[in-house]
Amino acid sequence: MKDNWGFVFAAYGFAVIVLGGYWRRLMRLERELQKASRRPRSGRRP
Amino acid sequence: VAALLAGLGMTFGIAPREVTQGNVQRIFYLHVPSVLTAYLAFSIVFVTSLGYLVTRNLAWDRWAGGAAEIGTIFTALTVISGAIWGKPTWGTWWTWDARLTSTAILFTTYLGYLLLRAVVEERERRARLAAVLGIIAALNMPIVHFSVLWWRALHQPPTLLTPAPAAVSGVITLVFAVNFVAFALLFVYLLAKRVRISRLADELLPG
Repeated sequence: MKDNWGFVFAAYGFAVIVLGGYWRRLMRLERELQKASRRPRSGRRP
Repeated sequence: VAALLAGLGMTFGIAPREVTQGNVQRIFYLHVPSVLTAYLAFSIVFVTSLGYLVTRNLAWDRWAGGAAEIGTIFTALTVISGAIWGKPTWGTWWTWDARLTSTAILFTTYLGYLLLRAVVEERERRARLAAVLGIIAALNMPIVHFSVLWWRALHQPPTLLTPAPAAVSGVITLVFAVNFVAFALLFVYLLAKRVRISRLADELLPG
């Protein structure tokens, strides 16, 4: 049977894109929430 | 990251070229650890959903929501890598075989679970409904796993996690084990991060 390296790289490439994309999304969400939690709440303004 | 790199290195450097399928069989080291990680994630959804219904503590719900989200991603990886593997070996990207169909049902069920979490705004109600669905959805996992034994299927029977000793070589089992450990560690890392984000969100937007 042919080696079909193209299929192998497509599968691994897809996995890297999906998992990397999800990880980046989590990092962005975490940064935004941390920034928001440090911001003073509007009700507490003098 | 080190475990993932070790897994990749072993997949392409140490694992032997399979006799009948050739190098395309290397997709096995991505496909099977992905589905086992999804099983792990959905088992956590099951346990934490029960935990929420018993205690009504929202911390259980945060674990369930996070595990379901990541489990759904690993199920998508399973389906897509399986389709990519199927084309050169079976001659088709997709067939309505018992294993493929039950996995597609598993995937859509957890997509529905995530949709439910996204549309119900009231926090306690969302947790309660999601917990019930999280328990029901997990019942599909044994059907997915044993479908290839219960029905005549194009998909091969389980290579690992079978009552009989595994009929694969030691090197293949070792490379598979390293990849599975790497995926499980990645899952734990992503889950911890997802739960932390949910806790921060709950603190900022209570209710």
